Amino acid sequence: MQVIEGSSSMKKTKGKSSTTEREFVFEFKAGKQSCHLSVPLNFPVEENISDLHGRLMLLHNLPCFIEKDLKQSLEIFIEDQTNQDRDIDSELALQKIKMGQVDMDHLTKAWSKAYTETTLEHAKPEEPNWDEDFADVYHELIHSPASETLLNLEHNYFVSISELISERDMELKKLQERQSHEMDEVMQGLGKTRSDHDVNTVAAKHFDSQQELENKWASELKQLTSIQKQEYQEWVMKLHQDLQNPNNSSVNEEIKVQPSQLRGSHEGNERLYEEQRQLEESFTIHLGAQLKTMHNLRLIRADVLDFCKHKRNHRSGIKLHRLQTALSLYSTSLCGLVLLVDNRINSYSGIKRDFATVCQECTDFHFLPLEEQLKIIQQVVLYARIQRNSKVKNHPDVLKNGSSEDKYKNIERNPSNIFPGEFYITRHSNLSEVHIVFHLCVDDNVRSGNITARDPAIMGLRNILKVCCTHDITTITIPLLLVHDMSEEMTIPWCLKRAELVFKCVKGFMMEMASWDGGISRTVQFLVPRSISEEMFYQLSNMLPQIFRVSSTLTLTSKR
Amino acid sequence: MFPLKDAHLGAHTFFASALPHDVCGSNGLPLTPNSIRILGRFQILKTVIHPRLCQYVDISRGKHGKVEAEECDPSLVGTHPLVLHIAYQVLEGLEYMNKHGMVHRALGLRNILLDRLGSVKLAKFGLYHMTDHGEDVDFPIGYPSYLAPEVIAQGFVHSNDPTYSEKPPPSSPKVDVWSLGMILFELCVGRRLLQNIEISEKLKFILTLGYIDDIVTVLAEEHGCLELIKELPGSVLNLLKKCLTFLPSKRLTPAELLIDMLFVEIAPLYKPFQKPVGLFSSSLRCMDLNLPEDIGELCKEEEEDCLTERSIDEVYYLWCLAGGDLEKELTNKGIIQSKPPVCTLPNFLLEDGEVFGQGRDRSFLLDDTTVTLSLCQLKNRLKDVSGEAYYPLLEDEQSNLPQSNNTNELTAAVNLPLIIRERDTEYQLHRIILFDRLLKAYPFKKNQIWKEARIDIPPLLRGLTWAALLGIEGDIQAKYDAIDKDTPIPTDRQIEVDIPRCHQYDELLSSPEGHVKFRRVLKAWVVSHPDLVYWQGESISILIFASLAYACMSSFIPKYLYNFFLKDNSHVIQEYLTVFSQMIAFHDPELSNHLNEIGFIPDLYAIPWFLTMFTHVFPLHKIFHLWDTLLLGNSSFPFCIGVAILQQLRDRLLANGFNECILLFSDLPEIDIERCVRESINLFCWTPKSATYRQHAQTPKPPSDNNGFNKSSYFSADYQDLPKTDLVSYC
Repeated sequence: MQVIEGSSSMKKTKGKSSTTEREFVFEFKAGKQSCHLSVPLNFPVEENISDLHGRLMLLHNLPCFIEKDLKQSLEIFIEDQTNQDRDIDSELALQKIKMGQVDMDHLTKAWSKAYTETTLEHAKPEEPNWDEDFADVYHELIHSPASETLLNLEHNYFVSISELISERDMELKKLQERQSHEMDEVMQGLGKTRSDHDVNTVAAKHFDSQQELENKWASELKQLTSIQKQEYQEWVMKLHQDLQNPNNSSVNEEIKVQPSQLRGSHEGNERLYEEQRQLEESFTIHLGAQLKTMHNLRLIRADVLDFCKHKRNHRSGIKLHRLQTALSLYSTSLCGLVLLVDNRINSYSGIKRDFATVCQECTDFHFLPLEEQLKIIQQVVLYARIQRNSKVKNHPDVLKNGSSEDKYKNIERNPSNIFPGEFYITRHSNLSEVHIVFHLCVDDNVRSGNITARDPAIMGLRNILKVCCTHDITTITIPLLLVHDMSEEMTIPWCLKRAELVFKCVKGFMMEMASWDGGISRTVQFLVPRSISEEMFYQLSNMLPQIFRVSSTLTLTSKR
Repeated sequence: MFPLKDAHLGAHTFFASALPHDVCGSNGLPLTPNSIRILGRFQILKTVIHPRLCQYVDISRGKHGKVEAEECDPSLVGTHPLVLHIAYQVLEGLEYMNKHGMVHRALGLRNILLDRLGSVKLAKFGLYHMTDHGEDVDFPIGYPSYLAPEVIAQGFVHSNDPTYSEKPPPSSPKVDVWSLGMILFELCVGRRLLQNIEISEKLKFILTLGYIDDIVTVLAEEHGCLELIKELPGSVLNLLKKCLTFLPSKRLTPAELLIDMLFVEIAPLYKPFQKPVGLFSSSLRCMDLNLPEDIGELCKEEEEDCLTERSIDEVYYLWCLAGGDLEKELTNKGIIQSKPPVCTLPNFLLEDGEVFGQGRDRSFLLDDTTVTLSLCQLKNRLKDVSGEAYYPLLEDEQSNLPQSNNTNELTAAVNLPLIIRERDTEYQLHRIILFDRLLKAYPFKKNQIWKEARIDIPPLLRGLTWAALLGIEGDIQAKYDAIDKDTPIPTDRQIEVDIPRCHQYDELLSSPEGHVKFRRVLKAWVVSHPDLVYWQGESISILIFASLAYACMSSFIPKYLYNFFLKDNSHVIQEYLTVFSQMIAFHDPELSNHLNEIGFIPDLYAIPWFLTMFTHVFPLHKIFHLWDTLLLGNSSFPFCIGVAILQQLRDRLLANGFNECILLFSDLPEIDIERCVRESINLFCWTPKSATYRQHAQTPKPPSDNNGFNKSSYFSADYQDLPKTDLVSYC
């Protein structure tokens, strides 16, 4: 009797992991009849041996008395063959080296590189990093009783900066007044005693002197900021040392005296802060099919820079906000903000300029000033373009559709610009409610009515949320309509359509996020421009619970 | 599972390599993260138990693809003078691993642990297996000095490196023999080999060993210890030579080396290890049990620490309950050092999500140290538990709760909510011990298991307890093996589609290993019941039997879902639903009227409930609680659960019309599961038995069936007949 298992079609997979088929032969005797079982097996064997054995027994109606023998010989056969295969493989590799087909230096370099790059034992010792040390020290101090001292110190610095700024504004204003006065005089004399040429010279002179003044103040501000930063960092380190050996706590005393100085110090020159009614509505939602995660959503009508500015007229509020932001700065619950910018990385115009102004209002004691962060980012972008180009050259199949080809042409023309959907990230310790700012590049397309879920801006949002996952940003503020200012073409239907799109996409991304980070509850704030009507705001806030499932209220009194 | 004895719990951690951004698998779904794949493959390691191997207890996945493996270490003492003994024991361990298809690869001095008695345990033996031959991690597995030449020759390829397409083939068991040779050499000469040379030089040296004949002598010369080597006894030298054979084909495997003449003298000293017989097998569990002549001897052992007599996984479970936290422990020891996230942010992201300007974080480097976990906290917590508590008497049929009457505290604890009880260390200790002993006496103690299960089931022993409740007996593993699970059948496609849809938030169930297991169980079921067809929801219902899946399923389905999975199941379901609406009407006429008025019939929402026994609707941790009770009730208990769910939503249902109701059920709000269980038990007690009669229900087995084993006749396993009284006593 001969039993032959039907051979399954052999698949040759590419590369080295090809399979070879071998015949497993098993002979046994049943009474006088001697039987012969042959099974083609694919090596390396991937299926479970006991399953295979069970199947053989069943399919070929094998008698139960050979069950054990069959299993044993099957196991031995497979083990032997596998070991043989592996031996051949490994000797082939050894042979290659002996024959000089593989460069031994190259090989061992790769190994040692792998070891030094990935294991602590072989890695180079870490050079001390000032920033991280400072981060540790600060985090420790801000969570200690010394936090008040620190905040007071920060506030002192803030006050002196704002004094400087108001002085600057005053002087600029004076200059402008004087200049406009002068200009008026010249204009009145135009055609009589003065010519066009004279007007132009005066205007140029005015412009020059204004520039000069601005530059002077800018450099002064910069100097003050850097002095403050240095002083502050030294203070913090000293304070930390002092706290560790409490015999010598002079620093602590010194600062404690200071708070009295700042009371009412800048009440006089307080700028007028126009407090419009800020509209806000909060929701608690549950996401997920079976396992549900709770998230907080908030719909806010406010200006995007309100999250950055320190509000001056709320005396007690400042400190609380500051403390909150400072406490969480080096923690695992950060706050982020999405700022929509154009395709150039600088701070010369529009919202970028406004943002830079806000950043200057208070010294950043932890991170680099905004301009320097931007400089670094510009370099990173150039580097990224080079990387990308070389990749494209190596794999030309990456871009097949025409649109991306256009884009790559564009890149070559101006490699320092960024494209819709790309974003850069800046870090701040001096803003009122935000640590991280995502500068998401958008183009004029977002102003038109017909953007889809595949729009680069939306994909950018998805990537932003992903960064939030990997870097523990638990509160994120997103401009719901993907614009910061309203304009005429943004009608009510436009707003509703856009809001629905963003809500739905964000919902999708949040559900996706659960698979990235295992479901951490987050706060997502949707921001709408201040200029939309109250009616519109309530329409949007009615839309939200229809898209997200709002969690039911918990009734504590059970009705029976 | 061995008792803890004087072993310690140890933990070590590593990072899985990150996947390239946004790449989809062949089925269009996003790829499974590497850490989850590791977690899936780890599960088999828990079952690899051998006295020469450390026991893997648990794995947990931290944030951002960090993986922490838990294993058990004996206390480490210095080196042992008897090289041959060490070699033999290591080989024993290696051989057992090879049988399970694993290779150590990272054999090194620090992974060979010795306890006080000089017996060897291998640590970190599962690293190579669980990382899929090093695929899922960035770091190379193994120590440079001990790497076998062929491993070096095959090269190290970074998995993310696009320039290499082919990966090195998996190592063979012989790799470990070389490493062992190097280690033994070090032990013999008493110094480290190739210590002060750069890694690349080390590896080059190992590769050049192939050009010479006598590797041992050359190595000795190189390290200036030729004298020492010459003085070694012949057998040791012979062993070294056998291990340090350059060509893999000439080198022996651990199994071959074990039966080599070298070990003829010491082999009889070590008894071959036999796997303890499990609960469900065909052989007798008490076969090897031999009581000492004098029973008194057993009692002589003085009262030591009873906790150390418990098995390792129980101790670990209790350790976790007593406030043990792996991640915290590792952070305290400085193994996990994380930078504040604000410092590690990237600078710039492209539209397709590629990240730029992010420095390589040093904390991602592999730190090889194993941290010993302190059991002090647990011991403190349990110091008031008396020795008797560890050995409760089971024969005392009179008292309802044999062990818990001892302390007032525990009886008080029974009244606490279930969630609190599951977190209470002492309470869980008592329950685990009790259930452990009851299960050991299964099926003799079956009725007591039923009784105790009515109070609660300890999560640690849930799988086994459920199996006991379902009355599973016999060698299920063999039965399962005998089913053909490989031949393609028409339902394959459907199964393939369904599996990725089930409870994917659970890390284990979303790993490829989990999928494979799951698929095999399903196919086994389909094949062995040719008269029934696969029904979509079925996959979900069986999913929760993580272990013993097949056997549980085959007895579970007949009980509750009898004939549900027939090809034409419409009449069965119709009947079921009719009974269900009857139940609603019986318990809540107002709601029933309202639902009828708006035409919201059970067909619209309740079919998935019953087909999947509610598993489709709830997350796993809730299902566990629900099923604990469900398994105790009879086949009409699901109705009560259904009604209880409806009652929780009562207000909203009454307030809403048809459309809102549909929406409500399509995305079911959170249900308070404990209340649901409590109410359903009450409902069950109020329901007259006739109300739930179904023509298509399974006919109860004649009670005489299952009593062949035991004479005590009041023990009737057929609780399906009289569950009502049982649940009443529970209320």
